[in-house]
Amino acid sequence: MSERDRIGKGHHEKEEPFYAGQGRILEMIAASGPLADILTRIVLLMEAQADGLRCSILLLSNDGKHVRHGAAPNLPEAYVKAVDGLPIGPRVGSCGTSMYLRKPVVVTDVLTDPLWSDYRGLAKSCGLRACWSTPIISSHGDVLGSFAMYRHEPRGPNAEETRLTEAATRIASIAIERQQDHGMLREREARISLAAESADLAFWVLYPEQNTAWMSEKGRAMYGFTPDEPLTRESLVSRIHPDERAAVQTAFEQARASQQTFEMEHRIVLPYGKTRWVITRGRCLLDEYENVLEIICVTIDLSAQKQSDLQLQVQRDELARLSRIALMGEMTASLGHELNQPLAAIANNAAAARRFFDRGQIDPAILKQLLADIATASHRAGEVINGIRGMARKGKSTRSLLNLNAVIGDTLRLARSDILIRETAVVTDFDSRLPDVEVDPVQIQQVLLNLIMNALDAVEALPLAERRIIISTRSLRREIAEVSVRDFGSGLPKDRPEKVFDHFFSTKAEGTGMGLTIARSIVEAHAGMLGGEDAEGGGARFFFRLPAAQRLPVRQAA
Amino acid sequence: MTPVEKSDAEIVCLVDDDPAILKSLERLLVSHGFSVRSFNKPKSFLAHVQAHPVPLVVLDIWMEEMSGLEVQANLSALSPRTLVIVITGRKDSAAKLTALHLGVVAFFTKPFDGDQFLNAVRGALAMHPIQ
Repeated sequence: MSERDRIGKGHHEKEEPFYAGQGRILEMIAASGPLADILTRIVLLMEAQADGLRCSILLLSNDGKHVRHGAAPNLPEAYVKAVDGLPIGPRVGSCGTSMYLRKPVVVTDVLTDPLWSDYRGLAKSCGLRACWSTPIISSHGDVLGSFAMYRHEPRGPNAEETRLTEAATRIASIAIERQQDHGMLREREARISLAAESADLAFWVLYPEQNTAWMSEKGRAMYGFTPDEPLTRESLVSRIHPDERAAVQTAFEQARASQQTFEMEHRIVLPYGKTRWVITRGRCLLDEYENVLEIICVTIDLSAQKQSDLQLQVQRDELARLSRIALMGEMTASLGHELNQPLAAIANNAAAARRFFDRGQIDPAILKQLLADIATASHRAGEVINGIRGMARKGKSTRSLLNLNAVIGDTLRLARSDILIRETAVVTDFDSRLPDVEVDPVQIQQVLLNLIMNALDAVEALPLAERRIIISTRSLRREIAEVSVRDFGSGLPKDRPEKVFDHFFSTKAEGTGMGLTIARSIVEAHAGMLGGEDAEGGGARFFFRLPAAQRLPVRQAA
Repeated sequence: MTPVEKSDAEIVCLVDDDPAILKSLERLLVSHGFSVRSFNKPKSFLAHVQAHPVPLVVLDIWMEEMSGLEVQANLSALSPRTLVIVITGRKDSAAKLTALHLGVVAFFTKPFDGDQFLNAVRGALAMHPIQ
């Protein structure tokens, strides 16, 4: 007969309540009952198994260096208080030592054992003689606390007491560990929700099967739901802006089908009409049969960001406009000339007409032609003024489908007189298969003017015969239209070529130093890029690239 | 008044690459009884001047093919007796100085007063020695 069987048999009458008690304690643990209550139940259950047995559970503090009171319902209060907070160490009674050494410490007589030398008086006053302590170890191998048995007579534990200790430490370990996990989980949830609340995030979960949804407090405020309004798929969908409802639902269904996460930028409309821009990221949780259990989403309010994007856009447009006006100031020759030519023609024609009348020789055919010419010239003057107004106008930029070769042609006409006066040859080399681009014509003309005026400045000091610039276009894989303006000047700054793009960098006395910076930001706002480099054979080459406009495929006629 | 066939010596030449200016100047001069020959390309005028006597030319400065000042410089070799009136689309003191230096008789910035221009044309033709 094994010892275990003998003990079991000898204490048979106590077996039933012991297992029942153990079961009740496990239930309490499963139900996440208070730890102090659970530990007290463990102690009482153990004490009930033998006469004169006193037990206690001590916990290891979070810093891992001190003992904390756990449960000791039948030990004197003075003793419990004295032990609470003691440091652990190699000579701190039975419990402090066993936690320190991570192994059971059996003291048969506290009055003689050196481990108790500091606590002998305390033990004696409480009538305790023997103390056997066992560390409570977690599933990860960490010390959680200790379980101790006390006797009033000096002796070591018998086999049953050893068995009870094993059971007690096992149950206590489960209870303490679970409580610690819960604590960590609660702490994490609290942190996430704190982060969410402060970051304008909404959390929500949709349970498609039950058609109910949970939403964080912030989320309800963001979506305009009251704190206890029941939520359904329909009530969530009703908040999505009608224009984006179909797109959001499609993204949702795709994510569900592909089990991927989804992300959608869309507007939500609050019951009182206010709209918000939000971005929603979500994920579907599936069960083992791939049914959607829940859809977990985070929604971020983008309204503030959208607003500042919009403000930035307005500022950028205004800066571009001011820079255009400055550019027009630099192009005095062209503007004056372009306007003076038709005005001169009008004045001459009018003077001629007056003379014809004075002389009484009026050929109606000549007069008719003369008046037509006056009308044409005044129309031309009007065009020039409209052009200036267009360059200086305020307001939203509008984009249209254009061919850059044509835009360059228009720009060269605008700068014609400046080019003439600077006696510079402008050579054009156009790719006839250049793809169309979708751009704001005024802004792109501004970029071109900038590059052309800079190129004219760069060649100004050259002898007449060498004074030329080359404007060329080419198509890159039919996906990108590239324009380059090449001069034969002294090239980019040698120390740091990139500085031509710096704000306020200028080599010109009257330059604002903003031209290229703004030109670059215009091109970038069109999803393109603008760069500059030293050209092979001398001079600089500035170029910009714009993506070809997306077009629907055109079916060829048979 | 009967139309009189004018000799080359009495014909005013106009050179401007802007057709509207050219046509309107031609009308202005014709309405005042001048005979006019218009050129919208400086080079064709330079070709003409080598074959015909030209007492007076009205030259635009800023033209695509060749600047009026260049034409003027060529003239001093090809036809030193031809008088020059310069018209320009913009105020440009440097160009004016060059033109005056090259012996221009008058300098006008467009748009200009028709009467002053006509006076300059009349004055130039009057001071030109009749051939």
